[in-house]
Amino acid sequence: MLKLENINFSYAKQKILHEINFHLKEHEFIGIIGPNGSGKSTLLKNISKLLDPDEGYIYLDKNLLNDYSYQELAKKMAVVPQDTNVSFNFTVYDLVMMGRNPYQDRWGRVSKEDKKKVEEALQLTDTAKFKDKSIKNLSGGERQRVIIARAIVQEPELLLLDEPTASLDINYQRNIFDLISDLNEELEMAVLAVSHDLNLISQYCERLILLHKGKIYSMGEVEEVITKANISEVYNTDVDIKYNPITERPYVIIIPRQKGSQQMRAHDFKVHLICGGGTGNDIMNILNDLNIGVSTGVLNRGDSDWESAKRFNFEVVEIPPFAPIDERAVQENKEKMQKADLIIISDTPFGWGNLDNIKVLADFNDKDILFMMNNDLQKRDFTEGKFTELYEEIKENNNVNEIDSNKKLCNFINSKYEEILYD
Amino acid sequence: MEKKTNYLYIILAIIALLFVVGIISLSFGSINLSPLKVLKIIFFGEDVKQSLNVIIKQIRLPRIILSFLVGAGLSIAGVVFQGVIRNPMVDPYIVGISAGAGTGVTLAIVLNLQISFLFFNTIPLMAFFGSLITVYIVYNLAKTKDKVPVVTFLLAGVAVGFVLNAVMSFFMVIGTRDLSKIVYWLLGSLSTASWQDIRLMLPYFVVGNFIIIFFLKDLNLILLGERDAQHLGVDVEKSKRYLIIGASLVTASVVSVSGSIGFIGLIVPHIARMLVGPDHKKLFPTAAILGGIFLIVSDDLARILLAPMEIPVGIITALTGGPYFIYLLRKQKKEIW
Repeated sequence: MLKLENINFSYAKQKILHEINFHLKEHEFIGIIGPNGSGKSTLLKNISKLLDPDEGYIYLDKNLLNDYSYQELAKKMAVVPQDTNVSFNFTVYDLVMMGRNPYQDRWGRVSKEDKKKVEEALQLTDTAKFKDKSIKNLSGGERQRVIIARAIVQEPELLLLDEPTASLDINYQRNIFDLISDLNEELEMAVLAVSHDLNLISQYCERLILLHKGKIYSMGEVEEVITKANISEVYNTDVDIKYNPITERPYVIIIPRQKGSQQMRAHDFKVHLICGGGTGNDIMNILNDLNIGVSTGVLNRGDSDWESAKRFNFEVVEIPPFAPIDERAVQENKEKMQKADLIIISDTPFGWGNLDNIKVLADFNDKDILFMMNNDLQKRDFTEGKFTELYEEIKENNNVNEIDSNKKLCNFINSKYEEILYD
Repeated sequence: MEKKTNYLYIILAIIALLFVVGIISLSFGSINLSPLKVLKIIFFGEDVKQSLNVIIKQIRLPRIILSFLVGAGLSIAGVVFQGVIRNPMVDPYIVGISAGAGTGVTLAIVLNLQISFLFFNTIPLMAFFGSLITVYIVYNLAKTKDKVPVVTFLLAGVAVGFVLNAVMSFFMVIGTRDLSKIVYWLLGSLSTASWQDIRLMLPYFVVGNFIIIFFLKDLNLILLGERDAQHLGVDVEKSKRYLIIGASLVTASVVSVSGSIGFIGLIVPHIARMLVGPDHKKLFPTAAILGGIFLIVSDDLARILLAPMEIPVGIITALTGGPYFIYLLRKQKKEIW
C-alpha cells in the first residue's frame, strides 16, 4: 500500500528525517509516536506530498507518490490535519461535500453519488444532526468528526491522521479513535496516525513506529515498541509499563520526580523528627515539600511513620517491630539530634516504651525544639507524670516552641530557615 | 434545499434591482425623461428626436454599461483576491494592483504606445502587465516561508502602491502633453465613457472572468487553507496563479477605462458574502451584479450631486468605502467571513 525507502529530509540544512524505511500493508493500522521534534509531523507531510523528500522514494500502490496528480492522490489518500479550525461560515454539509472534490468536474457539479456518499459519511460519523450548522459553531470534537467525514467521502484507501485528538477531552479522544478503528476494520482503510499520546494510540493500532531524532528507533508490535527501555530512553524520563486489563495492551505510566532523593536536599538545614504511629506523616510531607534534610527516630520497623520516612528516603533510627528502644538506638538518635538545627516532636502520646526518645532532650542546652501540641499535655502523658516533668525540664534549658497546626509549622520552619540562612 | 431557493430569490431580486437602477439612471441627467420613454427609446427606437436618441444610446447607455462592468469587475477581483489571500481586508485598490495597472496606463499614454490590434488595445494590455507585475512583487514581498500574513500583505501593497503613485506622478510631470487626461483618470471617473471604451476593455474583461470561473471551485477549497485544499485534490499553486492572473486581467481591463476607483472591491464582496455565504459559486455572480449596481448608483451621485459639475466617481466610492474599511479594521477581532 505505502512504502517508504530511505527517506531523508532537511529543513534549512538541518536534517529532520534520516533513512526512514517502512512498509504499510493494505488495511493496516500503524501509529507513529515520538517526542516533540522527533520528525513525526514532517514524516507525515512527506507522505502527504506537502513536502518533497531530499532523498529516497515513497511508493503508493507501486507508483511513485510524485507520479500522482493532486486529484488522483486525493482519491487514494485522505488527510485529517491536527488543526481543524475553520474560520468561515461553511455548513457542515458543504464542508463534507468538499471531500468529493476529486470526483467532481471543473464546475463542481454535485452528482447523486456525491450526495449519497456525503449522507453516509454524516451517518457514520454521527454528524448528520448538525449538517446545516455552521462549522464555526461546533466544538473541537464535533469539528474533528466532520473533518473525518470529509476524509471518508474521499473514499481513500489510506487515511493519514496528524494528532487527531490533540487538545480534545478523553471522551472525544476515545470517540475519535473508535471511529478511526471502525474505518480501519469495516471500510478497510489503511491508517497511519501520528500521536503524541502513547497510551491512546497503543490501544488501537496494530503496529507502532517510534521516532527519535528523525530516525526510526523502534518499529513493530505495540508490545515490542512500548517497553520501559525504549520509552525511558527516547523520552528521557522515568516511566513504568503496565498493561491495560481490557485491551491487554501496554500502558505507560509516568513516575513523578522523586523529591526525597538525597542529592536534592538542602544540606544547610536539618530537622530531626520524633514521632510514631502515624502522627509524623503530615509533618514529613511538609518537610519533604520544603526540601529539608530530615532524620527521624527511634521508630519500630513497620510503624506507619517508619514507612513514610522510608518512602521519603529520610534517615531513620530504627529498631525491630514491637521491640523496646535499646541503648544503641538511643545513642544513635542523640547523635542525629545533635546535628539537627531543629527538633520536632509530633503530637504523639508518650508511654514507657517511647519515653527514651525524648529523655535525651533533657541533656541538651539551647536547642531549637518544637512541640506539636493539639492536645493537653496530660492527655499525651501515659507515664504517670514523668513525661510532663521531662517536658518542663526541656523547656527550661532549651528554646522550646509549641505549635498546633501544620500550617503554622510551615511558617515556623520558613522563619527558622531564614534565621539560619542569614546568620 | 431551502438554501438553494433562497439563493435563487436573491439572485433574481438583485437582477431586477439592476434593471430598475439601470433604467432610472438612464432617465435623468441634463435632460430628464420618464423611465417609460427611456424603455421605448432603447427597445423600439421609435418616434423620438435624433438628439434624444443620441443622448440615451450614445452617451448614457454606454456610461451605465461601463459603470456596471467596472463595478462588477472590481468586485470580482475583490472576491478573488480576498479568497486567495484568505483575508477580507484585501481589494485590488488597497494592495496596489490598481496602482500597478495605472502605472501601465500612464506609461502607455506618456510613451504614446496606443496601438490597436484586432480587439486588443495596448492600453489595457499595459494595465494588465502593470497589475500583474505589481501583484507578483507584493505577494512575494509579503510571503514569509509558506504563508502570506495579512499585515505584511497590506503593508507591502500600500508601500508598493506609494512607489507606483510616485512613478505615475513623475511621468505626469515630464510627459505634460496629456496631463489632464491622466489626472482625471487617476481620480477615477466614468465621465468620458463611450462604446469605444467598452470595446477596448471587454476582451480582457471576458478572458479574465473566464479564467476565474474556470478556477472558481478551487477558491472554495483554498479558503479551507492551502494544505487542506491540496489534500482535497487541488493543485493549489497552479490555481492561485491562474486566479491571480484572471483577477489582474479583470482589474486591468477596468482600470484602463475608469482609472482607479477604490473600495468597491472591498465592500461589495462583503455584502455579497452576508447575503449568500462564502460559497464562491454563489458569491461570484452575486458580488458581480451588486458591484455593478453599486457603481451605477455611485456614478449617478457623481453626476447629480453638484450638477452640472461632475465629481469623479472615485471620490464617491472612497467616501463610502474608507469609513467602511475603518469599521472592518475595528471589527477584525470578531470573525468576518
